[in-house]
Amino acid sequence: MRAPNFFYKGLGFAVLKRRVIKIALPIAAAALVLSACGSDDDGDKKKDGGSTAPGNSGGGNKPTWTIGFQAGLSGENAQLGINEENGARLAVEQANAKGDLPFTLKFKTSDDEASETKSVSAAQKLIDDSNVVAVIGPAFSGPTKAASPNYAKAKLATVSPSATNPSLTNPENNFTAFLRGAPNDNAQGGGMAKYLSKKLQVKKVFVVDDKTEYGVGLSKVAKDELTKAGVQVVSDSVPKATPDYGPISTKIKNSGADAMIYAGYYQDGAPFAKKLKEAGFNGPKFSGDGTNDAQFVSLAGDAANDWFLTCPCADANVEAATKQFTDDYKKRFNTNPSTYSAESFDIANLVIDQMKSFGAEKITREGMLTKLKGASYKGLTKTFKFKQNGEFDGATTFIYQVKGGKIGYMGDIDQLVGG
Amino acid sequence: MQPDEILDYLIPGIMLGALYAVIAIGYTLVYGVLQLINFAHSEVFMVGAYSALLALTWIDPSTNPTALVSVLLVAAGLAVSGTAGAATAFALEKVAYRPLRRRNAPRLAFLISAIGASYFLQNLAGKLFGRDSRALPTLFENKKVFSVFGTQVTILQLLIVCAAVLMMVGLDYLVNRTKLGSGIRAVAQDAETAGLMGVDIDKVISRTFIIGGFMGGIAGFLFGLHLQLSFTMGFLPGITAFAAAVVGGVGNIRGAMMGGMLLGIVESFSSPIFGESWRYVSAFAVLVLVLMFRPTGILGERLGRSA
Amino acid sequence: MTTTTTDFAPTAATLAKLRRKRWYQHPMYGRLVGTVAAAVLLDVMSGPQGSREDVFFSLDKSLGSMRVVWWILGAVALWAVMEFGKPLYQRFLGPKVGPLDRFTTPVTEPVKAVTAQARAKTADLRRIVWVRLGFSAVVIGLLILLPNLLSTFWNQVLVNEVAIYVLLAIGLNVVIGWAGLLDLGFIAFFAIGAYSTAYWTGAMPVDPPFKLNAFLVIPVAVATCLLAGLLLGAPTLRLRGDYLAIVTLGFHEIIYLIAKNADGFTNGPRGVQGISNFGIHIGPIDYDWELDPVPYWYLLIGIATILIIAFLRLEHSRVGRAWTAIREDEVAASATGVPTVKFKLMAFAIGASTSGIAGVAYASKARFISPESFLLLFSVLVVAYVIFGGMGSLWGVIIGTAFLAWLPQYMKDWVDPNDRFMYLGALLIIMMIYRPQGLIPSVRRKRELSMAKAGLGDADAMSEPAGGRMT
Repeated sequence: MRAPNFFYKGLGFAVLKRRVIKIALPIAAAALVLSACGSDDDGDKKKDGGSTAPGNSGGGNKPTWTIGFQAGLSGENAQLGINEENGARLAVEQANAKGDLPFTLKFKTSDDEASETKSVSAAQKLIDDSNVVAVIGPAFSGPTKAASPNYAKAKLATVSPSATNPSLTNPENNFTAFLRGAPNDNAQGGGMAKYLSKKLQVKKVFVVDDKTEYGVGLSKVAKDELTKAGVQVVSDSVPKATPDYGPISTKIKNSGADAMIYAGYYQDGAPFAKKLKEAGFNGPKFSGDGTNDAQFVSLAGDAANDWFLTCPCADANVEAATKQFTDDYKKRFNTNPSTYSAESFDIANLVIDQMKSFGAEKITREGMLTKLKGASYKGLTKTFKFKQNGEFDGATTFIYQVKGGKIGYMGDIDQLVGG
Repeated sequence: MQPDEILDYLIPGIMLGALYAVIAIGYTLVYGVLQLINFAHSEVFMVGAYSALLALTWIDPSTNPTALVSVLLVAAGLAVSGTAGAATAFALEKVAYRPLRRRNAPRLAFLISAIGASYFLQNLAGKLFGRDSRALPTLFENKKVFSVFGTQVTILQLLIVCAAVLMMVGLDYLVNRTKLGSGIRAVAQDAETAGLMGVDIDKVISRTFIIGGFMGGIAGFLFGLHLQLSFTMGFLPGITAFAAAVVGGVGNIRGAMMGGMLLGIVESFSSPIFGESWRYVSAFAVLVLVLMFRPTGILGERLGRSA
Repeated sequence: MTTTTTDFAPTAATLAKLRRKRWYQHPMYGRLVGTVAAAVLLDVMSGPQGSREDVFFSLDKSLGSMRVVWWILGAVALWAVMEFGKPLYQRFLGPKVGPLDRFTTPVTEPVKAVTAQARAKTADLRRIVWVRLGFSAVVIGLLILLPNLLSTFWNQVLVNEVAIYVLLAIGLNVVIGWAGLLDLGFIAFFAIGAYSTAYWTGAMPVDPPFKLNAFLVIPVAVATCLLAGLLLGAPTLRLRGDYLAIVTLGFHEIIYLIAKNADGFTNGPRGVQGISNFGIHIGPIDYDWELDPVPYWYLLIGIATILIIAFLRLEHSRVGRAWTAIREDEVAASATGVPTVKFKLMAFAIGASTSGIAGVAYASKARFISPESFLLLFSVLVVAYVIFGGMGSLWGVIIGTAFLAWLPQYMKDWVDPNDRFMYLGALLIIMMIYRPQGLIPSVRRKRELSMAKAGLGDADAMSEPAGGRMT
């Protein structure tokens, strides 16, 4: 547009003509490349972990082995993947820094964007690297389903801290290299149902899931178990990132249910809790380990009070070891550990433990898989043992309740209910 | 659904509809002057919310401020989010759209540039503020103010609807009564002729973006108060609001307001009628139905060129 | 507003006053502001990742430290060199030629001459059918050899991302590039193809009347997608460009949500597992495509080649010319007797069925699908790929798509994976600013655009410059 010149008078903006773009953009592009390289350096430092730590500098002829890690590190669901990545990375760095390993440990991440479309190639990246002897991940059940046949073919063990869909360990799948590092959804759903029906003796429960694989799985088990126990069940699904939890809260209030279960993650549990409080629903409210996170309380504020949260993890928050972990984590990553950080840390240590047991022998993928299947390791969060089909051994569910802005430990559900 | 529950769903529906309407106006304005689906508008919305979070945390880091402080915080939040939204939209136009206009780029190139800008802003916010959800402080503790036939209305709902209505009335005045408004309408109708008549098209387009961004930013803040913040928070409300703009007749400001309200209320009622998971299906079904019978939306195009 | 009043009678003095520029209005200060803003942005972009406790953490580290000062100083220095260095250079060293041309001209000029000559020669050659066939054969031969040069990881990427998206882009190119219809719901047909595969191979919770081999699903899926395309297209293709975009976008959301919510049929968000692979079991031939990506690569090359040949023939047929006519001026086309709705519908349905074929290939390769494989984002991305490559130009679209599908994978090793999409977004903007017509624009498109720029004739609805022409 060529407007008469005097129209530009007094316009600061008008001087920013095409030339600005002409000059600024190549600079931006060049700097972009530079900064990309710069952050690559950072990334490499990050990736190499503690390989330059003092304890290792002498061992020139130590073999190098790599622990792989697959999860979504970019895109919408990146947070969970980042939590797990940091936990595992911390374990690897600490193991290297100790200096008593018979090998040098490396950590290699592969981003699957939490998408099953990208999962196969992300897995292949780790499989192709013959130094990778075990993989932590994938974080979600969908990518796990997509990638597990390839891992099984390569006999590369994957230990997932968070893929809790029960069907993954179904023998028909032939996911022979898959090990689940957490109890599956059945355990928690059953625990909730038991507590509601036996301890609180409610008549009618409203079950809401978030339409994610996790939420649907958990709510299905809870619904089945509640129905079995003779409790009336009403249910609805609220896809995560719904813009308004008002209508569903009203619906729950009006349904006359005595209690409700939310099967989903804290990101959506928190606004839901707020709207439930606003709607005036006062019955017991339950949620699973996806919501059992300090962030739930900080997001929901007062509305989180009195929520019951189940978890396959015992309360370890007070133990000295966990405190140490929290401090180290905070120091390394500038942020507090979050959902599955500690589990991932534990699993990395479990893997390192098994690698150590090879002693002077050469570590093979197949050997790792066999060893991991027979492993028993007591970590910060729980004791890790696996059944023959790769299922996590042990299904104790613990229950917590939010009180005064803190998630307080109540105990083992079976013990609380009394049989 | 019982008849006496209608208000229980209508009031949240109106609130949500008001938010959609305000966002939809941003889309409609830009579409009016540029015939461009401004995909990055949802990120302007997100930036508004985050800037308010920064400001509010900076002023008062406590999560449960008192009523007096709350009023102050709301005022600050509105001011900051509006400014940040306007600034983002302005920069967006300057960097992602204006150079393309200078080069006579085809319209689809604008679309891709918009998608790129949206991607960029979203992931930049994810990087800067963490990819986890965040909450704005709970202002007024969501106290009820009054009840209509037994249905409670909260301060927040009132605030959102009032702010939205005020903005819409202001905008309507601005577009229909002021010099800038007639410039916007002129450019929307025929940019070339408007230019020949002495309208500075660049300036009009730039200011249109600023107005849309201002409203989008404030909508982001209000939405953040109502729900919470995350770096992808703009996507779904953005898509729905654009659908609302189309339902009302894209390029038509009053149409956008109407479309937003309609979709908000339809979504709210789809919860008791079809189940919550069919919420978006109902919104888009309304869109398809409306377009089948009125191909240019309910009110038809007004700002833009007639079909 | 800058509308002038009617009684505005400028005197020489007022005009001079209006025309006078203050020192800060000089364009070079605008460039300074731009450069500094870019530097600050880059500082923020290259800062540390944010913290979930402290909103200010990342900003503090990038803006609240000395880093930002260095960035700004660097930007100012760069600006100064560019602004003041150039006149100095021109004055003393190179009065006529630009700073770089001085060094490049001796090299580029002969090269330019040679390439021009070569181009003229190849233009003759390209008219000979055998040369063209031979050239295509060489390209296909190279593509067949390609997997042997790459690691298995890159083969997976080639099949899962590059080849599938190239198939999709070839289909979408018909819709956007040739017929000029903006389709933002292209992945919906991909999903229909994938779920058809799941259904007809018996992997869904609902059993089909009889099970089919994955190859035989292709025609079924094509038919299903054609039908879906017609059902969606018939009422909506009467709409103008942007309305069509939002309706197709809505259609995508509806398909996605049905896949997610119809638990009894699609197994909802948990997805469908155990879809059977491609396989040939006729007489003595007994072959199954399994986990290895390379056989899929050959298969997909085959499918793509057939489609490309078919589409190229279509482009230059009566149908293709009708599409061009509709794209360039729909009113004129229909006035001269082109049944516009019919041809638009045809383009839409052809695109849809190509997407369906890609869906079959994807589902059969992945063996597992869930609604999350068909996000709206992917629909938007395919459109971006097509336009990035140069819509309407088949080769441009193929190369552009392959590049953009490959790039994020490549970037994984270079940048922090968390930030990949930030760089990708920036790349899209920069690309559109410098090359809005795409990597390899189609010849006809290029002419349409240049004509529109010169004010001769009108480009089509989709490629018309927004906001009026800027001359």
